Amino acid sequence: MSAAIEAASAGVKVLVIDANEKAGGQLFKQIHKFFGSSMHRAGVRGIDIGRELLEKCEELGVEIWLDSLAIGIYDNLRVAVDRKTGFNEHKMILVEPKKIVIATGASENAVRFPGWTLPGVMGAGAAQTMINFHRVLPGKKVLTIGSGNVGLIVSYQLMQAGAEIEGIVEALPKINGYAVHASKLTREGIPIYTGYTVLEAHGKERVSEAVIAKVNPDWSTIPGTEKTIEVDTIAIAAGLKPLTGLAHMAGCQLTFDRFLGGWAPIHNEHMETTVPGIYIAGDSTGVEEANTAIEEGKLAGTAIAASLGYLDEKEADALQEAAWERLKGLREGAHGAERTQAKEHQLHAYAEYMERRGEVG
Amino acid sequence: MSAYDVIVIGGGVIGTSCAYHLVKKGYKVALIEKGDIASGTSSHCDAAAMITDKMPGADAALGYASIQKFIRLSKELDYDFNFDQSGSLYVCETDQEVEVATGYVNALRAEGYRVKMVDPYEMSQIEPLLAKDLKGGFWSDECAGLNPFKLCYAFVEQVKGKGLDVFLHTKVTGVRLNEKHQVEGVDTDKGSFTTGRVINCGGVYAPEIGRLNGLNIPILPRKGVILLSEATGPVCHQKVQEFGYMVTKFANVECDRDPELLKYNVAFTLEPTEGDNVMLGSSRNFVGYNLNTEIEVINAIAKRGMRFFPILKNMSCVRAYAGVRPFVEDHLPIMSEVEEMPGYYICAGHEGDGISMSPVSGQLMTQLIAGEETELDMEPFRFSRIENRFLD
Repeated sequence: MSAAIEAASAGVKVLVIDANEKAGGQLFKQIHKFFGSSMHRAGVRGIDIGRELLEKCEELGVEIWLDSLAIGIYDNLRVAVDRKTGFNEHKMILVEPKKIVIATGASENAVRFPGWTLPGVMGAGAAQTMINFHRVLPGKKVLTIGSGNVGLIVSYQLMQAGAEIEGIVEALPKINGYAVHASKLTREGIPIYTGYTVLEAHGKERVSEAVIAKVNPDWSTIPGTEKTIEVDTIAIAAGLKPLTGLAHMAGCQLTFDRFLGGWAPIHNEHMETTVPGIYIAGDSTGVEEANTAIEEGKLAGTAIAASLGYLDEKEADALQEAAWERLKGLREGAHGAERTQAKEHQLHAYAEYMERRGEVG
Repeated sequence: MSAYDVIVIGGGVIGTSCAYHLVKKGYKVALIEKGDIASGTSSHCDAAAMITDKMPGADAALGYASIQKFIRLSKELDYDFNFDQSGSLYVCETDQEVEVATGYVNALRAEGYRVKMVDPYEMSQIEPLLAKDLKGGFWSDECAGLNPFKLCYAFVEQVKGKGLDVFLHTKVTGVRLNEKHQVEGVDTDKGSFTTGRVINCGGVYAPEIGRLNGLNIPILPRKGVILLSEATGPVCHQKVQEFGYMVTKFANVECDRDPELLKYNVAFTLEPTEGDNVMLGSSRNFVGYNLNTEIEVINAIAKRGMRFFPILKNMSCVRAYAGVRPFVEDHLPIMSEVEEMPGYYICAGHEGDGISMSPVSGQLMTQLIAGEETELDMEPFRFSRIENRFLD
């Protein structure tokens, strides 16, 4: 939506395609106030940022197709969309834009253990969507795997929603997320099992208990330390990975970086991928956070407006420079140095790839 | 460097079958593959072993022989490749198609194969979800389905380390000949091998390997797109195809076809998988080695599928994928020694029949190499039938 707003405010005709029933991605389930490295929006709730972006899109006349799935990008920048055309009615439509922005975000990593496919075992993000968006409590007794910020925040929100948090399991020797989030949970007496992993889940119709155990530094489990916890829900918060399917299909080159969540498309400073005309922004080019995603969206939006002649070069350069300044600031927080380096590596890889292709072509 | 009786180039279904049959015969064999087992055409296809997609004569004989071998292999190989002799049904849309089909079926019956015409009522008994306005069809209970990917592994796993050495991610850079043009070895990017016999089982890449020795193997990559449905209850119980498929395959059976279908050679085929998905195909067109799927082709295939199985309209497609089939102008594979280069064999060019013909192809090549009498007349498959078979 940030890319759409930037481009549309310069006069570009924009269509947003979203698979969900509401635009705004993950923002609408983030009912908590932003914290930490989200310096320039600290104290603002994600849900409010989402609302703001949506209003702005409406104001600028951005067309939004909801419940509509972009199923593929074909040659000459054509996008096939399974568009919702009515209640329970979809139609395949081929959209032929001049430019494409891929902002598909990220998906949750799974942790596989015996019993991981039992009903009740789910991603922490899924549990958060259930409580904050659909207003459904996934279960009453929850074990969370992972003590990163997602694991901590979702646990706290599940507790607020009325679930009992039986514990948080963290394989690392210490809590992975911010202390401020962790202490909110420990104050309520919720145990955080650092140095533990989940061994297996049992249950018939759905999960009924989880077995956890202590781990050695080499991740092997220590026999005799097993603990059985009665639960009806296991929420897995084991990080995210970029959703790269569309970009990959379109032929965009990817690189691997663990600090960005894995494989992600490389791009130039305008967020354009190695396929001319296809831009990428947000978690789909490396898992970071909402504010960096917004800035990357702005970069893509202004770059597109400029390349289509809706912005003069000088104006676009100034906007781009300002966005890069803000990104620099945003990448000073947790793992900031690694993320900055990883993003630089993407730019570098793009330049190298294009040069190599230029030589061949 | 290591010495082998035979070196097989290519780890697709043809190469793995040749390797398996040669080892069974007692040969020491190396399989050299530039990627992984079944990483090309053999894993980008659908699979059925059939008679009813073959032309009467040598083609049908090969199809029949293959099915008999599959029955045996399904007992002989430890690795399950999901062989299922469930039959196959061809359906006709027009009276004209029924007429042509009747002639075709009679010709197959005259050669002794179990195949019969069925009327619309019988068809609705065999496949209840078929469209109700079809004119007729033909059915054979001899045809079977299987998993092509697993078949390749079944061939390899059975003999690996027991006479077969497998070299993956190894690219052939040359086949060495002596001054009499006899094969004496194979060079790869990972080292050299000594051997007196090599089989080029490169499929769509067979020409690339042939070129290293000045051979012009006239195989073209012909792309086919397949759609995979979500897993549902059973939609069909066997491979179901429209008779129009024969037109795209042989182009010498006269039938009227919709121009949209002709453009990408789209014809309806539907195959169940063991996971209760269905595979919906297919198309055939020449666009090089590019494996991208085209949305126009996907659309045409989906539309064609819904025409014959209206229930598909209510199902989701979870994936579309393409594979390239090794096409030869006269629709017969090349299975032969290159007479001018003793010890150089070619077994490639099966187009859409590679999976189905793999067991018999492996067997025939083994008989050729052993100097035994072959169980089929090899004349139609000779490389020397190709006019310009050497590069200038």
